[in-house]
Amino acid sequence: MSAATLSPEESAAVYGAPLATRRIQPVWIEVENSEDRAYYLLSPGLDPHFYPASEAAEALAQGDAQKGAELDRRFRGLAFRNPVPPGATVSGFVLTNLDEGVKVVQLDLVANGRARTFSMFTAVPGFRGDYHASGVFKRELYAPGQVTDYTDDDAFRAALEALPCCATSKDGSRKGDPLNLVVVGGLEDAFPALVRRGWRPTEQTWSGSILRMASSFLSGERYAYAPVSNLYLFGRSQDLALQKARDNIHQRNHLRLWLSPMTYHGRQVWVGQISRDIGSRLTIHSPTLTTHKIDPDVDEARAALMEDMAYSQSLAKLGLVDGVGAATRSAPRKNLTTDPYYTDGRRSVLMFDRRPTSLDEIEILPWLALGK
Amino acid sequence: MNALLSLTLVFALVGCATWQAPAEMNDSALRSRAVSATNEGVRVSATVLSADETRRLLGTDLTGAQVQPVWVEIRNGTSQPKWLLRTGTDPDYFSPLEVAWSAHTTLGGRTNAAIDEHFDKLGFKNPIAPGTTRAGIVFTNPEQGIKLLNVDLLGQKTLVPLTLFLPVPQDSAAAGATAAQALFRYPASELTDHGDLDTLRAALERLPGATTQGEPLNIVLMGELEDIGAAVVRRNYRRDARAADMGQQVFGRSPDAVLRKQAEARAPSTWIRAWRAPLTFEGRAVYVGQAGRPVGGRFAPADATQVRTHEDVDEARNLLVQDMMYSGGLDKLGFARGAAAGERSDGLRAVLFFATRPLSLADVEILEWVSLGGR
Repeated sequence: MSAATLSPEESAAVYGAPLATRRIQPVWIEVENSEDRAYYLLSPGLDPHFYPASEAAEALAQGDAQKGAELDRRFRGLAFRNPVPPGATVSGFVLTNLDEGVKVVQLDLVANGRARTFSMFTAVPGFRGDYHASGVFKRELYAPGQVTDYTDDDAFRAALEALPCCATSKDGSRKGDPLNLVVVGGLEDAFPALVRRGWRPTEQTWSGSILRMASSFLSGERYAYAPVSNLYLFGRSQDLALQKARDNIHQRNHLRLWLSPMTYHGRQVWVGQISRDIGSRLTIHSPTLTTHKIDPDVDEARAALMEDMAYSQSLAKLGLVDGVGAATRSAPRKNLTTDPYYTDGRRSVLMFDRRPTSLDEIEILPWLALGK
Repeated sequence: MNALLSLTLVFALVGCATWQAPAEMNDSALRSRAVSATNEGVRVSATVLSADETRRLLGTDLTGAQVQPVWVEIRNGTSQPKWLLRTGTDPDYFSPLEVAWSAHTTLGGRTNAAIDEHFDKLGFKNPIAPGTTRAGIVFTNPEQGIKLLNVDLLGQKTLVPLTLFLPVPQDSAAAGATAAQALFRYPASELTDHGDLDTLRAALERLPGATTQGEPLNIVLMGELEDIGAAVVRRNYRRDARAADMGQQVFGRSPDAVLRKQAEARAPSTWIRAWRAPLTFEGRAVYVGQAGRPVGGRFAPADATQVRTHEDVDEARNLLVQDMMYSGGLDKLGFARGAAAGERSDGLRAVLFFATRPLSLADVEILEWVSLGGR
C-alpha cells in the first residue's frame, strides 16, 4: 500500500480544476495485491463523506455542460477503480474532505471472507508542515526508562485511576476539562476506528483559522476546522485534537489526547478529554473571544463516543474506571472557559484491536458498571 | 421602579412566558400507542411523539429545532446489563441538553436551568440492569410517515438488535399518508421461493432492468426488512420519499420504500428506491431497486424541486456497497446482470444479502458471480 495526500496546488495541477476551493482533497492510493483473491478498497474508510468523482466534477463545472463533460472524463480517469485482482497493482485517487495540517489515511480493503487495514498519518503539504502532532508517532516522547508497561489488569486500572482529574492551564495552576477518556491502541487500530466514524484531526489555533471561525460563527455555517484551544497534561499541550463536525459550528464533538508514559501489554495508552459542543458563546476567557458552549453533562459525550466506537469495527474492549471525581448538577465544576460541567467522576477506557470486530464481539471489562 | 429593574422584570417575564414546566409527566398515552418487539429476552416499546405530546411532555414543541423525540421503553429480561447504542438508532442523534439549549432564552437564567433539568430527567439513561425496565426519550432527526427505529442493545460480547416501524403522528391534514406508506406485501400465492444461489441469480437477472420511466434498477437487497433496515439506519439512511422518487414505477407501482443518506456535515446524497419483488430466497424478502443520486449531488440546493438522476448510477451503486460493508449487517455480496446497461452503466446489479447477526468487515462473503470490471 502506498498513499500520498495532495496539496491544493498539486491537486489543481493533476485535476485541472481548483478542488481545494470546494474543500476537496485527493488522496493517491496504490494497492499491490499479492494474495490469492480480489480486494476492494472502501472509500468510506478514508472519509465517510468522501466525494464520488462525478460529483466533484459537477461541483467544479458549476453548471457549464461542456466543461462538466470534460472534467467528468478526467476525474473518472483518475479515480481509484475496484477491484484489485490477485497479482495486480491498481492505483488512483479517492476524493476526501480537505484536511489541513495532518491527515490520517485509513485504507480498508475487503476480500471474500477477509479484510486488511492500513493506516498512515501524513502531513499535508502546503499547510502547516510543523504541526507537532505529525511527530507524535515518529518521535519518542518518552525515554525507554520512563515508560511503565502494565500486564496486570488491576494494576493498570489503579494506574488509570491515579491520573490527574483534569487537564490544566499552561502553568498548571487552574483545572480545565475532566480527563474522562483513555484510549489503548495506536495508529494501526485506534485511529482507524476514529477516522471511520468521521473524526478528523484539527488544525491548531492560528490566525487564519480564528478569522474563518469568526465568519462561520456569524453565518452559522458548518466549518470543519473550528480551532481547539490548548489544554495541558504531562507538562505539554495535547498531542492530538480531533473533532467530529456536525451540522454547523455550534454543534461538534471535540476530543484531545495525550500519549501517556504507560503502555498496556506493550500498547500505547492515550489519556484525554471529550466534550460535546452544543453552541458558541462570547467569552473573555479565551484569546479567540468566542468559545464553545459544552454540554454540561460531560458523561453524555463520553458515552456517545463509546457508542460511536462500537460501530468502528475496531473496538475490542470497553470499561469505566474512577479518577475524575464526581461533580453534581447542583454543584458543578467549571472548565477553563468557565463552562459548568457535572459528572459521575468516571473515565471510559476504550481498547482497540486491529482485527475487525463485530458488534457482538465487544468485551465489557469487569470494572465499574457502565452508566449513562 | 427604576428603568433597570423594569427591564430585568421584562426579561424575566419573557423567560417565563416561553417555557412552562409541564404539569404532568404521564406517559400512558405514549404507552398505549407504542409499537413493541421482543428479541432474545429483551422487549422494546417505542412511540414517536406528536407535536402536541412534545409540548405536553417537554414544555416546548421544538418547532424549528428539527428534532423528533422518540419515547423508548426497554425491558431487559436477560441476566446481563444492556446498553442502548443511540448511535445505532440515529448516528446524528441529539443529547438531551443540546435540545434543551435550543429552548433556552437569553437571560433566561433560572428558567434555562429548569429546562435543562427537565430534559435531562426525560432523556433515556443507560444501562438497563438485568430484570429491570427503563423508559426515556431519544432525540432523533425527523422522519415522516413510518419511522424505521433501529434499536441496538449492547451486552457482554452480545448484541440484541431490534427494528420497529413506528407511525409518525400527523398533526396536519396528511393523515392518510401513513396507510399509503405502509409496505407493500404480495399474497403468498404470488411469491416464488428460491432455495439455492444459482436459481436465485437466474431469477434476479430476469427482474425488470429499469423502471417504467427508464431508470436502471441496479441493486437487489435481500433479507428480513428488519435486517436491511438496521443496516441502512446505522449508516445514516433515513426514509424520505419525494415526488421525483414516487414518479418512478416498477411492477405498476411507485417505490415501496425510499431511503436517503442524510448524515450531517455535507454527507453524500445517495438514495435507495426499492420495490418488493415477487420472489423470496430461503423465505426471505427480495427487493429490487435503484441506488442513485441527484444531479448536483450534495452541492445541489436543498430546496431543488427538479430532481434528475445523475447518469453515473454505477458509481452510486458501488458507493452503497462500500457503505454497507460498514453496517455490520452485510453477509454476502454478488454482482449479477439484468440492470439496464447504458453508456455510463455496465448493466450489473449489486446483490446484497443482509443478516441479523452482527458482522465485521472480514465476514463478508463475496460470491463468484459476475466480476466487477474496473469500477
